[in-house]
Amino acid sequence: MTSAEGGAERRTYTPDFLTELFRNPLDPGYADAAARKARGEGPTGARQRVLTGVTALTLVALGFLLVIAYQQTVADEPEATKARDTLIQQVQNRRSDTDKLQARADQLGNEVAQLRQSELGGAAVARLRDLEAETGLAPVRGSGAKITLGDGPTPINPVTGNRSTEARVRDSDLQLAANALWAAGAEAISVNGQRLTATSTIRQAGEAILVDFQPVTSPYTIMAIGPDKLAEAFRDGYAGKFFKELVSRYGMSFDATSAKDMTLDAATELKLRVAVVNTPPPASGSPSAGSGSAEPGGSPSNSPSKGGR
Amino acid sequence: MIAVLALVAGVVLGIVFHPSVPPALQPYLPIAVVAALDAVFGGVRAKLDGIFDDRQFVVSFIANVVVAALIVYLGDQLGVGGQLSTGVVVVLGVRIFGNVAAIRRHLFRA
Repeated sequence: MTSAEGGAERRTYTPDFLTELFRNPLDPGYADAAARKARGEGPTGARQRVLTGVTALTLVALGFLLVIAYQQTVADEPEATKARDTLIQQVQNRRSDTDKLQARADQLGNEVAQLRQSELGGAAVARLRDLEAETGLAPVRGSGAKITLGDGPTPINPVTGNRSTEARVRDSDLQLAANALWAAGAEAISVNGQRLTATSTIRQAGEAILVDFQPVTSPYTIMAIGPDKLAEAFRDGYAGKFFKELVSRYGMSFDATSAKDMTLDAATELKLRVAVVNTPPPASGSPSAGSGSAEPGGSPSNSPSKGGR
Repeated sequence: MIAVLALVAGVVLGIVFHPSVPPALQPYLPIAVVAALDAVFGGVRAKLDGIFDDRQFVVSFIANVVVAALIVYLGDQLGVGGQLSTGVVVVLGVRIFGNVAAIRRHLFRA
């Protein structure tokens, strides 16, 4: 692009490329053409008109190019958001489906409970209800302790740009709190509204903590129904000391208070893994009763295969 | 005047026909636009300098676009497409800046 004769009269040395670029951004060809024209060698008449036409065509192409580029840029944007919108829509649809199914499950559960009450009646229902309350299958109500745990400050390291996660509540902290509450005599525990059962899991998945595969977020409220001194016992026990240490070292928030008249919901799902018929069907009973009692045993019998997970 | 009319005609054509760019050519579009802008600002500056030349403008426009696309293509094949695109944009950007500065001096005497 740098033709020798173009800038020869102005330059006595050849600068490097970038300097040349900054100093003289115009194509030297224009100067050459002007010089040719001054010498009278430029195109004239018909040739000049053709060249003007070509220039006009070039400009048409340029306008075309600009519009295409603009449309392309504009079109790219909705493409990305469209995909995202579809995904959001799907998530919301599935979520409302889940809610509907959950409502139906609750309704059917209530029906089953009512039918059972009318069929069995008396002491058997009371015993069942107690068992359900203990295992987390039925909502319970009572007084006990309310433990609140919150993340501490998570400053961003100015050098590395990484967020410090030291002061976050971990799954092990929640596990420790739950175990300490059980040990202190709690009868029912829920974490952020998720009722714990004998088979509940509290796990970390990335930054989220999952209680029975439902994500829970800070601040964590652990409600436990149990003896009146539950909160004091928790606070003075090893868990209370541990959390106080966390508070003083990492700035987490921790609070354990007594609470009255709390209602803990039933666990959302309790998978039946193993079921054994503990009383053999009475031989003297009618055959229909025998097949009737075999049926409830029949459906759990295929669940041990799933119970392996 | 003809130039402005031609530009407008191109824009109208683009809007009317609304062509879709094949995906294979899409990476070259931004580079082609920058290269074309470089040629245009060079032409405008030459016009103001009084040394505009049709042939020079057409050749520089086509050559700019083709060379820019070629460099990006080559970079893509070699696996340094992003860096080469950046290089092309920097070089053409500097030229555009210089030419716009010259145009500004012509128009505002400052």
